[in-house]
Parts: sequence; C-alpha cells; structure tokens
Amino acid sequence: MKIGFPRALFYFDYFPFWAGFFYSLGIEVVTSPPTHRQIMEQGLKKASDETCLPLKLLAGHIQALKEVDAIFLPRIVSVEADTYSCPKFLGIPESLLPAVPSGIPVLTVTLNWRKGKRQVLKDLQVFGLQLGKGKTDIRKAFTLGQEWQKRYQDSSGAGWDFEESVREIESVPKGLKNSQNCTVPHHDTNHLRIALVGHSYLTHEPYANLNLIGRLRKKAEVELVQHVKQEEVDNHLLGLRKKLFWNLAKQIFGAGNKFVTDPKIDGIIYLSCFGCGTDSMVQELLARFAREQHKPYMMITLDEHSGEAGLVTRLEAFLDMVERRKVREGYVSAHGERLDCDSNTL
Amino acid sequence: MKVTFPHMGNAWIVIQTLFESLNVEVVVPPTNSKRTLQLGTRLSPESACLPLKLNLGNYIEAVNEGADTIVITGGIGPCRFGYYGEMERQILRDAGYAYDVVTLEPPDGSLLGLAGRIRYLAGSKNSWVKILKALRFAYLKSVELDRVEDLIHSARPRLPDPRETEKLYEDAKIRIAQTMTEIGVKDTVRWVQESIRERQSGLNPIERFYKPLRIGIIGEIYTILDPYTSVGIEEELGRLGVEVDRSIYLSGWVGNHVFQGLAPGYRSIKSYPGHAKPYLPHFVGGHGQETVGAAVKFAQEGFDGIIQIFPLSCMPEIVAASVLPKVQKAYKVPIMTLIVDEHTGHAGMQTRLEAFVDLLERANSELGFEQNRGDVLSVGGR
Repeated sequence: MKIGFPRALFYFDYFPFWAGFFYSLGIEVVTSPPTHRQIMEQGLKKASDETCLPLKLLAGHIQALKEVDAIFLPRIVSVEADTYSCPKFLGIPESLLPAVPSGIPVLTVTLNWRKGKRQVLKDLQVFGLQLGKGKTDIRKAFTLGQEWQKRYQDSSGAGWDFEESVREIESVPKGLKNSQNCTVPHHDTNHLRIALVGHSYLTHEPYANLNLIGRLRKKAEVELVQHVKQEEVDNHLLGLRKKLFWNLAKQIFGAGNKFVTDPKIDGIIYLSCFGCGTDSMVQELLARFAREQHKPYMMITLDEHSGEAGLVTRLEAFLDMVERRKVREGYVSAHGERLDCDSNTL
Repeated sequence: MKVTFPHMGNAWIVIQTLFESLNVEVVVPPTNSKRTLQLGTRLSPESACLPLKLNLGNYIEAVNEGADTIVITGGIGPCRFGYYGEMERQILRDAGYAYDVVTLEPPDGSLLGLAGRIRYLAGSKNSWVKILKALRFAYLKSVELDRVEDLIHSARPRLPDPRETEKLYEDAKIRIAQTMTEIGVKDTVRWVQESIRERQSGLNPIERFYKPLRIGIIGEIYTILDPYTSVGIEEELGRLGVEVDRSIYLSGWVGNHVFQGLAPGYRSIKSYPGHAKPYLPHFVGGHGQETVGAAVKFAQEGFDGIIQIFPLSCMPEIVAASVLPKVQKAYKVPIMTLIVDEHTGHAGMQTRLEAFVDLLERANSELGFEQNRGDVLSVGGR
C-alpha cells in the first residue's frame, strides 16, 4: 500500500512522526515534490479564496500526489496539553476535500493530545483498523514514530538543516543511523546574526518565501525558532498574563522573546502570511516587545502574489541597517518614531 | 471603579442590567459608529479581526465618561477571541490608557480564580446570593430581548411602514433596558406583540397573508449580532420583504459560553454540531461548526436562502465557508458569503443583498426553474 503525504503545512513539523509510524507498519509513504509553480497554481484554483497561503499550497500538493492508493490528511487538533492547533488545522480534511482528485480515498485520524496519550493511542488504533493493522502493531508504530520525532527535534540544535534532516528521514530504508554527523558551524562574532521567526511551513518553504533563508544565509547567520530548546521557550513565556493557547504560536512567541533579549542576535525578521489569525496577535505582541528593547525588527507578509524585487529591496535595506548599527555600535531604531530620541549615529 | 465593556448588538442592555443590579458603576460606551471603528483601527494590529478593532474603539470612547475597568469574557481557543483580553490590555497600556482589564473566565481552569475576579468586580458588599440573582435576572432579560428581536424579524416584511417597525423595536429595547422587574420585562414583550397585531389588523387580507421569502443568517457571532458590523443586514432584508432568522441569538450564546451550557437560552445552539456532522464532524473553534450545522438546519426547514457573514480572516468561519458549498449542493439552497472589514461600504452590501433576493424571488415565482450556478460560473472560464 502506498500512502500519499503532501509536502505542506503539517509536513514541516510532524512528518518524522508519521514517517516512523508508517515505516513500522510497512506502509510506503510517498511525498509530493517540493513546491513549484504548477503546484501553487493548482492550489489556488481548488482552495477557498479566503484561506491562507499554506493551506492553498496544501491543496496544490494534494493534487500533485499521483499514483497513490490513498492520501493521508490527519486532523491535528492538539500536540500538547492545554493548547490547540490553528482552527484551520482542525478543519482538515473537510475543508480540503474539493482539492482531492476524484477516485483517491482520503485517510484521516484525529490527533488530540489534550485528552492525553491514551486517547491518542486509541484514536490511532481505530485508524489502524482501517489499515488492517492490529493494536500491538499500532502501539509499536506509535513508539517508533515518537522516537523519530524526538530524534528530529533533538537534532534541530546548532548546525541543523531542515532539508538535510528530512532527506534523511525520507530515505527511510537506510534508517536514521548516521544522524550525528552534522557539523557545528563556526560562529564568527563579526558576522551578522539574524533570527527568522515564523511558522515552519513558511520559513522552510523556499518556493513560497522566495528562498528567504538562502538569501539571508549569504549575508548572515540565521537563527530559527525551531532551533530554540523547549525549556528556553517556556521560560520566555512567563511575562504573559494569559497563556497562549496555540502550540505553534507559543513556540514562536517564546523563541521570539528569547531572540529579542539575546544580545548576540542583531535583528529579527518575522515571516507571516496574509490572513494568518494566530500571527495577527503574536506578531503584534512580539513587535511591541522588540520595540521596547530597541531590537531591529521587520515583518514580512507573504501571499500568493509576493514579488521578488520587493522582498529583496526590503531585505537589503534591513540588513544594511542592522549591519551599520553593529559596526558603529549605534542605536538605529527599529521603529520610525524613535529615530531621534535614541539614535546617536544618524 | 467604573466598569465598561465592549459592545455586541443588544448585549449592552444585559450587561448594564447585571452591573446596575449589583450597584456597580457602569459606563455603556456610545454605540458602534464610524468614529468607534476609526479610533479602534488606529491602535489595532493591521490584520486583527474586526471585533478587536471595534472593541478598542469602544474603550477609547468610554474613557471620556470615566471608565477605568474593562470586563470581557475569555476562552481557551482556538478562536482568537479568547486572547482579546490580554491583547487589548497591552495595546491600551502602550497607548497610554490606564485601564484595568478583567477577563471573566476560569484562569488556567481554576473556578476559584473566576470567583475571585467576580468578587473583585462586585465589591465586598454583594453576597453570592445577590450576585446569582442578578445573573439570573440579566439572563432572563436576554431571553426576552431575543424574543422581541425575533418578533421584529417577522414583523419587518409584513408591516407596511418600515420606519414604524424600527421605532417599535427601539422603544421596546429602551423599555427593556429600563425595567428592573421580571413582570416589567414580560409586559414589554406582550406590548410588542400587541402593537404588531394591532398594526396587522389594519391590513387588507392579501397583505395579511403575504408569505415572505425566508433567509437564514449564519456566521461569526459578533458580526451577526451587531447590526453596525453587518451593515444592518437584517433591517435591509426586512425592507426588501424578507423574513430573517438567525443561527445564534444572544441568550443562546450566553447560555453556552458564559453558563457553560447550563442554560439553553432563547434558541439553544446545542443541536447544531449534530446537524453539521456529515459535513464537518469536528469542532473548529469559534462557531465554525455551528455555522455549518445552522446552514443544514435552515435548509431542512425549507428556507429560501442562507447568508453567511464573517469578519475578514476569521479562522473558524473560513473553514465553515469552505465546507458550505457541499451543503448548498446537497440541499439545493443558495448560500452567499459576505465578508466584512473596516472598509465595508453600505452601498456594496445593499447591491449584493438586492441581487441575492432577486435571485431567490425568481426561483420562487418560476416553478421548475432551477438555479444553476455552474452555467453562470462557466462564463468566467472556470
């Protein structure tokens, strides 16, 4: 049996788990190719107009899955206690059914960690019945999936590269044996260090974000939200009066706060997409904090019309500003109204 | 301490009653207007949803009357509304408004914490019995208020002078807002019923048995409850001779959201998830699933058309909107989606409503004539 797994949205955070899960069950997983123009266009045609870019891309990737026995679209309600995923995650697969090519069945399972591990396992076992697998098989597959996921997350420290890690997981038969060979890059203190903050399905999606990481890496070292350890994230969430209830937003805000207070980080870029509901709140909170701490901060909003020239211009201007500030140790403000009061270089 | 709160349609009547019966000083902000929205938009994050912008506008306008404490309900997601309290507190603090924000919700699930917050608002003089009595009375008012609203919905297309009907509604609202006894509230409802009956008796038989088109309004709760936000869609449709029904009424929301389902409200929203099951089996936050369920229910009840309204970028409603075409197909009922934001204009909305009503009327008058969206859309090259 061949299961199609679209390379979009939940792929970027949870693929290792599912890869391990299906590997243990002896089911072949086929992922769609990296996003290209046609996938985007197909997605725009089939997805609802109002929804956000990542979901439109997902609709495209679903159509790009050819020659599979079924398409796998999990409903990821929650991945840890007391949080939810974005409401649009909860509406999968129903909201994307129009994009599924006719004749291919959709497999789905509800994953809700709010109710605890036992419930998750139970739901997976019900799902296993559809696949014709027994309870013990599912339990084993679940354990292996978690192991892979953990390994993937542990490896996402310094020197970790998303593409590389995932390629490793995708070449499944070889297994995850030589994952420790990543080299820690030498940190040059004179080099610029930019933190790229945002959802993994935007930061790791080079087609949609116009290869933002690649462009940044040419000029600076890039820190990602996904590199920050869970404990550090939690420590930086304490300033809020009310806990955030979206797990990805929590990670973004906690890590973002760490970057703002970290003196080694020279500037922060927040990557969001048009119509993102969680970002509309978290981005504002983070921008307020960055402004307060005088950290250079830029927000980039993506949509399906993002033009390259506009992005490059903004990026260059931002990097120039950050660099000048670093070299002259001056205070170039991250916000217009503070230009006169805090700056001594201009 | 002077308490204020954000507007949401008729909710102010209920909230004002609640605080006044506890002898807490309360400021009702000026009703939502262009100015409110302008003030709010200036402070809000660009991509925040419309209710947040209006809320902030309400607070700023309430400052002039000396308000210093905001009361708002909360939630644990995944709809953005659950985080409004903290967001608004930070925005107002940074903008230099000395507001204290009290979010009425169990903090981290602790009911004791909620009790503490209620105690803080009510002061030490009110006993718990009195607080519960006040809550009960406010709830009762909201139920009767919804009853009046529903009467007006059916009166609008049937009575001759629309201005008179609106005046009746306004008068009824003022009467309910002012009365502080159960009998007074019930009397007002009776008064509205009698006034409508009286006016109807003056009509000729053809007019009296006129069967108007029926349109069900579904969507995000703030937009459908607040006539300013929905550009007066219910009044507009009433004037076009359409009887309107709505998926969620204020007391239904209060019963479900504030009393955690202990009170059913004027129209319970409990049945909606069951109706939505074949199309959207899982809840998606906010009232997304309820929207789909209500669409199914309206379709089953034989409504002529359904209109969904939500603020731009509302996450749960977007999910609902992408599922609704299936309902439309299954029940052959036209569904139109309207999205509102701070740039929504009255004329644009009016045009779309008129076109929609025309379409429904034609389907009604020409029997056997079936609306075929496919033919129309294929012109556009899809």
